[in-house]
Amino acid sequence: MAVRPLPVPPADGQVLGALQRITDASLAYLPHDRLLEELIARVCEILAADTAALLLLDESRPLLRARAARGIEEEVERGVVVPLGAGFAGRVAAERRTIAIEDLDQAELVNPLLRERGIRSLLGVPLLVEGRLLGVMHVGSLTPRRFTPAERDLLQLVADRAALAIEHAALVEQQRLAEALQRHLLPQDLHAVPGLEVATRYLPASRDRVGGDWYDAFEVTPGEIVVAVGDVVGHGLAAAAVMAQLRTALRAYAVEGHPEAEVVERVNRLMCELGPDATTTLVYTVIEPQAQRLRVVNAGHPPPLIVDPDGRAELLPVQGGIPLGASPLAFYRSDVHPFPTGSTVLLYTDGLVETRTEPLDHGLERLRATAPGAGGIETMCTRIVRRLAGEDRADDVALIAARVPPLANPLTTRWPTDSHVLADVRQMLRRWLRERGVGEADAYDIVVACGEACANAIEHAYRPGRHSFEVHAVEQDGRVRVEVRDRGRWREARGVNRGRGLPMMRALMHSVVVEDAEDGTRVVLERDLSRPAPVGPG
Amino acid sequence: MSELARVLEDRRGEVLVAALDGEVDASNAAEVGERLRRALGNASTALVLDLSPTSYLDSAGISLVFRLAEELGARQQRLVVVVPPGAPIARTLQITGLGGAVAIHPDVDAAVAGVA
Repeated sequence: MAVRPLPVPPADGQVLGALQRITDASLAYLPHDRLLEELIARVCEILAADTAALLLLDESRPLLRARAARGIEEEVERGVVVPLGAGFAGRVAAERRTIAIEDLDQAELVNPLLRERGIRSLLGVPLLVEGRLLGVMHVGSLTPRRFTPAERDLLQLVADRAALAIEHAALVEQQRLAEALQRHLLPQDLHAVPGLEVATRYLPASRDRVGGDWYDAFEVTPGEIVVAVGDVVGHGLAAAAVMAQLRTALRAYAVEGHPEAEVVERVNRLMCELGPDATTTLVYTVIEPQAQRLRVVNAGHPPPLIVDPDGRAELLPVQGGIPLGASPLAFYRSDVHPFPTGSTVLLYTDGLVETRTEPLDHGLERLRATAPGAGGIETMCTRIVRRLAGEDRADDVALIAARVPPLANPLTTRWPTDSHVLADVRQMLRRWLRERGVGEADAYDIVVACGEACANAIEHAYRPGRHSFEVHAVEQDGRVRVEVRDRGRWREARGVNRGRGLPMMRALMHSVVVEDAEDGTRVVLERDLSRPAPVGPG
Repeated sequence: MSELARVLEDRRGEVLVAALDGEVDASNAAEVGERLRRALGNASTALVLDLSPTSYLDSAGISLVFRLAEELGARQQRLVVVVPPGAPIARTLQITGLGGAVAIHPDVDAAVAGVA
């Protein structure tokens, strides 16, 4: 066999130079695929080889996939796949040792490309990190070549460094994906929920990994707003993916109209099917602004904190079930708590109250003491984060604070001319009257009268197309005045069974004035709370 | 129908007892009316319209009751209404004079007895 003269074994200086080329800091900034190509090009030069290739182990199957090549670029283009244990690269991987072939004609090869391209000699080494196999790197020569022990050592040394760089790049890539996924999952515009103030904070424990903390707030019906926080066990891409499914499932079951305990039970059964990685704690609350209550379902999560309008803070007693994803048979209960207008509910993940050194009770008590104070909910969140979420925190922290502010007096609202908003107008007006301390009987009459004026504005006042009408309400000195304005002309409904609206308004209110003008109609309804209700059809 | 109101049906012989649970306004009165007419069919001799669980009834809802009374009268079927004394909607029914068009009973049993 014709063997070309042995290359001079690399001197120590050469080894150092070679390693520097592989561990070059600038490589760290390359995208994963470009990094592989750059590594393989440099390996080719260092060993003065004609060809070089890098194959990585498949994530789920015992296969090597060609990912970068020099001199045999078709390896990658053709998507060469080598089973572990078979062929040259497969043997290097299976035996996890350096293998050299001086004469390819004598060897069993899986990949015909190597012979097609006229490769005569091959040297392959495994890519290992802490004993884990990442793949195989090999160099080839178009002329017969006997690789020296020094060259074999050098390639293994280079491969060890390359393996570290490849693994780091893969982790960075995964982290980047997980972060993008989580950013996408945490709602950006929670201010879209009408009549609700929301403040949120998300603080990852470290830059290196993304957690499974998640929050959401959305409106189910005009009278019910969901605010929820969850914490998926684990980190990284898997946790972010579970979060995505949790968020979608919660919203879907909630919108279907299931009671909250059932929403949580359904999500639990789904999480159980997703496997052990889906274990999640969750606190799911439904705010009812009009009824001034809060319904709470807790699945193994730290207790919600309520701060009432007078600044009293209370941790809701935990009546919770077990975390989601633990048992498909778990059931959950809903507890109702008073939630007077102007109260704030604060939901958070355990990273906020758990430290490495203190019992949980201390963290909870610190939270309870810190939450009340001057300013709105943004200020509250800032205060809490500053006091509780220190630099040395062990875990991610997510928190969401939600407050239903009192309705203004005077109140001004605008509505689309669609009869389906009538229920929403009533809901809002009932709440406003309750906040003003107006009794039930007075409130019912006022709501009916206002409803008649609104129905008329919707039904008769417009030409086709989308328009709006306004409802103004003011309470002063025991007198409630409601004004409904539109941009159309007043028309009392016609027909034997119609036309009851105006008489009803007159019977229910102390004063009814209809001002019909060119630019629109104003119906002004007034009720004196100190006088007995008007009676009869009048 | 939106969940603003539900119609709960209960048959007592040839009498249909239909309870209106929820709120009736201009947005759902027509649908509620259709639901009641379908439930009634031709076999029933009378409809007892139970407004005990009705938390809101505006002029569109009240007009529906007047219309049903006319329609049923023309078909030799009877309509009576149940409104518990002191219910919030009792006053609006009084204002519109519904009592002059249909009999109003304080509870379902009395209403069924009234049409049997």
